[in-house]
Amino acid sequence: MSLFKARDWWSTILGEKEEFDLGCLCVADVDNSGSGQDKIIVGSYMGYLRIFNPHPVKPGDEVQPEDLLLEVQLREPILQVEVGKFVSGTEGLHLAVLHCRKLCVYAVSGTLGNVEHGNQYQIKLMYEHNLQRTACNMTYGPFGGVKGRDLICIQSMDGMLMLFEQESYAFGRFLPGFLLPGPLTYSSRTDSFITVSSCRQVESYKYQVLAFATDADERQETEQQKLSSGKRLAVDWVLNIGEQALDICVVSFNQAVSSVFVLGERNFFCLKDNGQIRFMKKLDYNPSCFIPYCSVKEGTINTLIANHSKMLNVYQDVTLKWATQLPYIPVSIKVANLQDLKGVIVTLSDDGHLQCSYLGTDPSLFQAPKVDSREINYEEFDAEMKKLQKIIKEATKTQDILPKSEKHRDVIVTAEVSPDLDAESQAIDSEVKAESVPSVTVKITIQSRVTAQKPNLAVCVQAPLAVTCDQFVFDDLEPDSSETVMLSVFLKGNCSPSELEGNCLVSYNRPTELNPEGIPKVAECNFSLPLRLICFPAQPSKAANHKITIDTNKPPISFVTIFPDFVDPSEDDQTNVLGFQFLTGSKTTLLASKTSQRYRIQSDQLEDLWLITKQLKLRLEEHFKKQNCKDFACTFSGSIPLQEYFELIDQHFELRLNAEKFRELLSERAVQFRAIERRLLTRFKDKTPAPLQHLDTLLEGTFREVIALADAAEENQANVFRAFTKLKSATHLVIMLISLWQKLSADQVAILEATFLPLAEDTQELGWEETVDAAISYLLRTCLSKSSKEQALTLGSQLCMPKDTSRLKKNITLFCDRLAKGGRLSLSTDSATQQAVVMPGGCTTIPESDLEERTVIPGSTATLPSHGQMAKQKSKPALSEDAAEEAEKP
Amino acid sequence: MGLELEPLFQAWSCFRRRKFRQCSDLCAQLLEGPPGGQEADSEYSVFQAAWSLKTRALTEMVYVDEIDMDEEGIAEVILDENAIAQVARPGTSLKLPGTSQGGGPSPAVRPVTQSGRPITGFVRPSTQSGRPSTMEQAIKTPRTALTARPITSASGRYARLGTASMLTNPDGPFINLSRLNLSKYAQKPKLAKALFEYIFHHENDVKNALDLAALATEHAQFKDWWWKVQIGKCYYRLGLYREAEKQFKSALKQQDMVDTVLYLAKVYLRLDQPVTALNLFKQGLDRFPGEVTLICGIARIYEEMNNISSAAEYYKDVLKQDNTHVEAIACIGSNHFYSDQPEIALRFYRRLLQMGVYNCQLFNNLGLCCFYAQQYDMTLSSFERALFLAENEEETADVWYNLGHVAVGIGDLNLAYQCFKLTLVNNNDYAEAYNNLAVLEMRKGHIEQARALLQTASSLAPHMYEPHFNFAILSEKVGDLQRSYTAAQKSEEAFPGHVDTQQLIKQLKQHFAML
Repeated sequence: MSLFKARDWWSTILGEKEEFDLGCLCVADVDNSGSGQDKIIVGSYMGYLRIFNPHPVKPGDEVQPEDLLLEVQLREPILQVEVGKFVSGTEGLHLAVLHCRKLCVYAVSGTLGNVEHGNQYQIKLMYEHNLQRTACNMTYGPFGGVKGRDLICIQSMDGMLMLFEQESYAFGRFLPGFLLPGPLTYSSRTDSFITVSSCRQVESYKYQVLAFATDADERQETEQQKLSSGKRLAVDWVLNIGEQALDICVVSFNQAVSSVFVLGERNFFCLKDNGQIRFMKKLDYNPSCFIPYCSVKEGTINTLIANHSKMLNVYQDVTLKWATQLPYIPVSIKVANLQDLKGVIVTLSDDGHLQCSYLGTDPSLFQAPKVDSREINYEEFDAEMKKLQKIIKEATKTQDILPKSEKHRDVIVTAEVSPDLDAESQAIDSEVKAESVPSVTVKITIQSRVTAQKPNLAVCVQAPLAVTCDQFVFDDLEPDSSETVMLSVFLKGNCSPSELEGNCLVSYNRPTELNPEGIPKVAECNFSLPLRLICFPAQPSKAANHKITIDTNKPPISFVTIFPDFVDPSEDDQTNVLGFQFLTGSKTTLLASKTSQRYRIQSDQLEDLWLITKQLKLRLEEHFKKQNCKDFACTFSGSIPLQEYFELIDQHFELRLNAEKFRELLSERAVQFRAIERRLLTRFKDKTPAPLQHLDTLLEGTFREVIALADAAEENQANVFRAFTKLKSATHLVIMLISLWQKLSADQVAILEATFLPLAEDTQELGWEETVDAAISYLLRTCLSKSSKEQALTLGSQLCMPKDTSRLKKNITLFCDRLAKGGRLSLSTDSATQQAVVMPGGCTTIPESDLEERTVIPGSTATLPSHGQMAKQKSKPALSEDAAEEAEKP
Repeated sequence: MGLELEPLFQAWSCFRRRKFRQCSDLCAQLLEGPPGGQEADSEYSVFQAAWSLKTRALTEMVYVDEIDMDEEGIAEVILDENAIAQVARPGTSLKLPGTSQGGGPSPAVRPVTQSGRPITGFVRPSTQSGRPSTMEQAIKTPRTALTARPITSASGRYARLGTASMLTNPDGPFINLSRLNLSKYAQKPKLAKALFEYIFHHENDVKNALDLAALATEHAQFKDWWWKVQIGKCYYRLGLYREAEKQFKSALKQQDMVDTVLYLAKVYLRLDQPVTALNLFKQGLDRFPGEVTLICGIARIYEEMNNISSAAEYYKDVLKQDNTHVEAIACIGSNHFYSDQPEIALRFYRRLLQMGVYNCQLFNNLGLCCFYAQQYDMTLSSFERALFLAENEEETADVWYNLGHVAVGIGDLNLAYQCFKLTLVNNNDYAEAYNNLAVLEMRKGHIEQARALLQTASSLAPHMYEPHFNFAILSEKVGDLQRSYTAAQKSEEAFPGHVDTQQLIKQLKQHFAML
């Protein structure tokens, strides 16, 4: 991350698909021109050796052909190039080229032509050494303090230091504990070689020690250059830096003391001559190469460090002085004097970009991509805005998204329930203890007029009913095609369902021009299941606990006509009595009065009456409809069986209380369990383990308790579900009786149903009791209220589980009373729904059962907060301030 | 190009140029060949060298600096047996937020995180997790759209990281740890260090790594500080902080290293001893003057301890050493923003932009700064860019929320309303948006809706005082004094210094007294 980029002075690209690494770049006045001008020498792994003398007329110029002084292809890969006084008898600079198995020293010379491009350069091989081992890198210097000449030390891949005294091979030494080669350098002040070993230590070996160690096994050495020595080399000093190093450099500038610089993989070290850390810096990037180049301020040394995020940082000791961007990741970096320009930064990338650059304040032009913005036409935008505002307003007014009209459905789903039960029952895993559980086949057909992508059919029946398969996934439907599936419905749970209905839903995507992914759409259809699925004819029983009587205004119909599936027409002796045996075991009897226009339904359980009553009413209505008799009506004149109903509520509520108890116990045990765990943990962590003191037994016991409690809670949950199903059946019955009793209209019945049967599921946190209680008390306060005083009562804002059901019972009784006294159910003034609205987000739900119109208190109109208040609440800006800056570090 | 390099040399060169995939492939070729060509008496072999190089290459591919890894799961928090005092003295603990001595901004100006700290300008691994006090609370803590659950346990996560890294090798793991004779390797320090890093970083198998490190440090006669640091790292991951502290201290005695100081400070922070960590950092600075990571560590601790002014000082010190430090620039910028100097904050954020930081958050901040610095022309285009750059719905939600603010600021309440709605569409856990929507509803006179929204907001973010306070105001207006009083008390709990809350409570108490 930098503001600036390195300014290009001269750059070129070398070869094609050539590889370069650290040693491949060298900067020196290799042709001994004496002008003090450096040449750039580059060798590649492909064996090309090139020498450049860049002299652009102005910065950033094209490469001139005469800039390239020399280009030769050698037969072996060039691992490293160095320039030094390598030839005996002369102090002139020569070029040493390291190949895998050879070291060559060349003299570079130039013949001046009349014009600049007439200059000729050539190299001449002075001497070469063949190496017994694969070379890795080399260093040079006046080993042993010789004056006026440089000796070469080559490190091989297997850890041997081979020393050459110019034209002759001196000796070879193995480094102890060697695994992989590290960077190698020579420090002339201490006359020692410094390297970083595989043990992640900086190690320094005195040249003297290396040289003396030869004596011990000189005989071996003379025989074979390659054999290793038995004697260990004594290390001068060792510093454990704990990481591998990329490069190592020894510098001494006049003002500053001599230091060893080590560029590690994660840190940058500056060491004293004796191997102590002078300073170190933790790098927050991956460095690639470095060079300490000069000392600007006394006692400090400036270093260039390049990294793998294409940055070049200039440090003065540890302080970042400058950061600049490079166009590539350099593998080698040097500082050169070129064409009277001092301190040019020469960088080489591993694919052959060679650049001479200097620092400057050229901004690194980061062009933010353009945002896709259109030409603004204000009138059009205004019109569109108005249109959208209107749509939004409409949408906010009607809370529900209204279903589209049925006329032009793209996909139609139909369900057909077969009239007969399956010959062979398809029921699986049924918990019902009856001898045979019947099943009925439902055939579902999907017809599509358009292309429907990813159609997905879900079939859903209320538990305890179940289907053999509830999910179907089809391939994309072509226009005017159809799919048919068959499935069976059966009774799974061991209790009677509260309704005999099912629902199937197809979801699909309809692609449009703008949206090829498709707009998600659904189609649904309901189907009703036969009564025979859950009960079968049985002997009627005379006595029963619960009886209800339905009056009609038409003479009684023979059961043979309306219950043909339950009555055997051959034995028509008792056509006015019919017995139903539920699969779950209970019995219900239906009686038709011979004289009056009445029907009686009786059973031992209240909830069992419901399905039969419903069937009776439905079938009667159907029958009279067939006969074109429109004024048929049922009525109910008895008292609503509230007492029995309340018993069911109590049963359900008690189970809920049990569940609450189980939950508390469970959390108590869990806390205990964690406490024991914590104790155990401290015991185990201790260095001197204390006896466990039966903590393990306690842990085991608590664990068992937790499991047992969880099992019990699960069982209780199943019971709650069963109780709720019964309660739902009974509620349906009560609703029906009330509506027959008061002859309520269809929309009043809808309100009644919404009140008593909330769509929300019955859960521990938000159960049936409190939801219904809230709904009833709302009705009591609004349309059924007696005085305005009652209307003013505000409701508790949060629904929670009541302590007992007395309030609910009282309210239901009151509700029936008010209805009996002529109360009318209506919600005409407000549009909001009765349902508790589950707010998204956290786990608690916030009911919206209070309605806005109701809470206006006479006399208090000003509910607007003062303006100052408003500003206060707003001045809390921007949570996202915080979310800022995850960007990588510079 | 018929020139052939020695394969091992080529692999070694690739490793240096960080071409790890290539390097590991080359090493694999070498390892497949017959292990011949080695002299019987030599302790060196090409085979070993290639094995070690491949180990290092595989490690480097997945390497993450251990210092930056910090995640505290529920299990760690709940089973934390390191706490010394139940109630720490003010200024000595990170667990007690709000013990500000440095005159940080009040929550009315600068929003706070769930744990009660002012929001920082730079997201780091540890800034996001609050410290829930009980398991129940931790499980019930509102989840965001991004994380369905709080992190259960850090160790579990590391194990998963380990399996993920293994998937990259189709032939199964490179080294089968269960077959490794650790004691044999521990005696070869040159192999052992690379192997340790492989086990620790690549396989994430802390237990084996610890075994190896323990054997190796024994072999090194407890003289190698590096092994001690590694043992400390293992202990830290295993949650044995006291033991880790011992190892790090012992390592520091042998050799001063920046990394060791950072690890030790991390241990102290986990032990909730910020003051010790601060002292340690300062000692470290004496030894390594100007070390950016150390100064930055100090600044972070001050920031977490609510001492914003000191934190800003240290962040400025960071910039003196390294003026490209993004974290420091961002933190100083946000600090200026919240201390009512949006123009200066703008300059810091602009600097980040110039440096090449190009993301949604930055433009979001730029937009806000522009707005508050009255440079309206840039505001909307900044937000436009932020929306364009948003990578996920959370970010989009943030931008819309801020746009809503701007809309409130210019008085376009309709736009504000829709902006907040859009915020909730993108992130339905956005408590602040619920709160502000409620205020707008209140203005429209929809009291019941406002109430429901405020309740949602307060249940989503119980640490914010605004929903509680607004609810109190609302209830008071309607005449429901009891509920107003409870809400006001909650508000006071969240922000004890809020003057308006205190006034409201006083007023309510007078009312009650009159009754």
